[in-house]
Amino acid sequence: MSTEGLILFFIAGVLMVGGGIIVSNLVAPRSTNAQKLDPYECGIPTIGPSWMQFRVGYYLFAIMFLIFDVETVFIFPWAVVMKQVGMTAFIEILIFFVILGLGLLYAWKKKALRWE
Amino acid sequence: METYIFYILAGAILIFALLSVTTRRVLRAAVYLLFALGSTAGIYFMVEFLFLAAVQLLVYVGGVVVLIIFSILLTSQINDRLEQPEWLKVMATMLLVVVGAGLSLFVIREYDFNISETAMTAPTVSDIGLKLLSYGPGGYVLPFEVISILLLAAMIGAIVIAKRMKEND
Amino acid sequence: MSWSDFFLMQQELALILLALVLLVVEISLDTENKHKIIPVANFLFIPILVIGFLNTSTGSLFGDMYITDPTRILMKNILNVGVFLVFLQVSNWLKTQANNRNRISEFYLLIISSLIGVNYLISAGNFLMFYLSLELTSIPIAALAAYEQYKHKSAEAGIKMILSSAFSSGILLFGLSLLYAGTGTLNYGAMAIASVDLIQSMGFIFFFSGLAFKISIVPFHLWTADVYEGAPVAVTSYLSVISKGVAVFVLAIVLITLFGEIQGLWQEVIYVTAILTMTIGNLFAIRQKNIKRFLAFSSIAQAGFILLGLVGGSNFGTTAVLYFVLIYIFSNLAAFGVVSVIQNASDKENIYDYNGLYKTNPRLSLVMMLALFSLAGIPPVAGFFGKFFLFAAAAEAGMYVLLLIAVLNAIISLYYYLLVVKAMFINSNDQPVPKIESDFFARAGLILCTAGIIITGFISWIYEYMLNNSFGI
Repeated sequence: MSTEGLILFFIAGVLMVGGGIIVSNLVAPRSTNAQKLDPYECGIPTIGPSWMQFRVGYYLFAIMFLIFDVETVFIFPWAVVMKQVGMTAFIEILIFFVILGLGLLYAWKKKALRWE
Repeated sequence: METYIFYILAGAILIFALLSVTTRRVLRAAVYLLFALGSTAGIYFMVEFLFLAAVQLLVYVGGVVVLIIFSILLTSQINDRLEQPEWLKVMATMLLVVVGAGLSLFVIREYDFNISETAMTAPTVSDIGLKLLSYGPGGYVLPFEVISILLLAAMIGAIVIAKRMKEND
Repeated sequence: MSWSDFFLMQQELALILLALVLLVVEISLDTENKHKIIPVANFLFIPILVIGFLNTSTGSLFGDMYITDPTRILMKNILNVGVFLVFLQVSNWLKTQANNRNRISEFYLLIISSLIGVNYLISAGNFLMFYLSLELTSIPIAALAAYEQYKHKSAEAGIKMILSSAFSSGILLFGLSLLYAGTGTLNYGAMAIASVDLIQSMGFIFFFSGLAFKISIVPFHLWTADVYEGAPVAVTSYLSVISKGVAVFVLAIVLITLFGEIQGLWQEVIYVTAILTMTIGNLFAIRQKNIKRFLAFSSIAQAGFILLGLVGGSNFGTTAVLYFVLIYIFSNLAAFGVVSVIQNASDKENIYDYNGLYKTNPRLSLVMMLALFSLAGIPPVAGFFGKFFLFAAAAEAGMYVLLLIAVLNAIISLYYYLLVVKAMFINSNDQPVPKIESDFFARAGLILCTAGIIITGFISWIYEYMLNNSFGI
């Protein structure tokens, strides 16, 4: 895409979204009353703040996710060149996997993967 | 054109970073951080470091920020606003930041960098893979394996901290 | 590259193997039998100590990513011995605390992964490897500082440790990126900084500040006392000897191999920080009531003394540093060992709780006394010789003002170390710590430390061995 096209694309995008909002804001009929601010079909009104404290389990899952997320980052380039490099690549990733696989097994044994 | 995009992205990073440290709601700070990290990925895309950009999105935007948000939700003070810092402290910090940034800028601008003759080409994923698996000079297989131990230690550490050890009692 | 080249990485490979074996043992043990890992870990660690002495050849692997030579192997040996002593001291605490029952192996696994980082850090030949190993040394320890997470202070220590170590890593990375900008490489060999460019000086200052956090050199020491106080005693002793020791060793390696040409710059930095560290560490140590905080500030002051050996940048200074760190490991671990035994038995950790300790626990008091004498540098024990060589290194570099300040500080430190000794032997106490029977491993650990304190000073071949092996980093 050429530079001008890119700029045009940006401007068109801003215009379309922004224009739509502005136009609907101008054209739409307005009526305001207190009932409109009530939650509709969302259960009973909340008592106290609606933000609640999460359980520590979420954190554990998030950090597990992050660890394997980082692992993916390293596996991806390996997968691209695996065929080219051959046996060495296989041994290298095997060590990587064994270490992390033991970690996964450990987490499993510790019931870190189970939701309580 | 590239320059404009760069300045837009850099401006976005700066603004979101500033907002992230000045907002008084901790959850908003995390979301501003998300945008700042996302804009950084934009800069990587701009210089065509596609793999790095993907990693930035995958790990930082998709993982680290999620973790930060979860940790914030773990605390009980989500609704509380942070106190307005003292005026004197704000000024002192500002002064420190300006002096530090000025000094770094001065040093970097003054330095006579060797400009390489060959045009830079962004590495492809297979270049990265070959470097990562190579054990000769310039290869990174040792850090690659050590990272697996770091990840293992991080996993054990996380379980030690976060897992309730109640089952045995 | 042939298979035999891997023997160059003997210590790291053995440690990784040990970590994996312990992990497998942990997975296969039932919940009730978790404590059986303690003897397994302690005895399996002995071969690792032996392995370190088998092969002391020079070489590099993976295209200079990994460098080894006799000096580096000696450094690793010193630190590995320290970790073995920590392991011996920790067993009783791990076994008796009910809250630990289900995560004994985690303690060993985390310490060993940190130790793998320590070993790789010493052998790093590339700043990428350097940074990675530095993180590997500190992240598991941050988790361990929060090991007693049901205690408020321990959790606080964990968060303080992880935040300060993240902050220091950030500073260090900024310094490294400036160095990279100046030289275009991360490899030690190709990097060797030749000229005092503005960008490289600034890079060095940031790099040094990042490492200074780990050694707790004075402007960067603020986290030390809180973390040392809150973390479990075993973790504190690891932090105060191993984490500090490896940072000192790496600083020595990097200063000599990379920044050798710009000695004028770093000499001034180290000169000033050494004075600050000794003085402030000492002045704060006098005021402490809690024995762990007391030892924290004492270890800050000791770091200041260690810098004396680095300031000259000579081989003699490096030997003095290695020798002092070995003695410091024995002395500090003996002191922490006693603190750990007493805290484990009676949960007391204030200095006045040690009043009248000699009446009930004469042997523990004697060990503590020897350890404190050694830390203070009183002649018959090894600490004297360690300090002596450090002072000699400063004198060799011709820094007599620094030497004078160091001697004054050594005298101040004598005062507060003797305060504790006085508390144990002279002060009376209505409720002294009851008589304590420590278990086999704790006793073995204390005996080894005491032997180290006494023997290292007298047997000259230990020093000569170090002198012969500490050339040519």
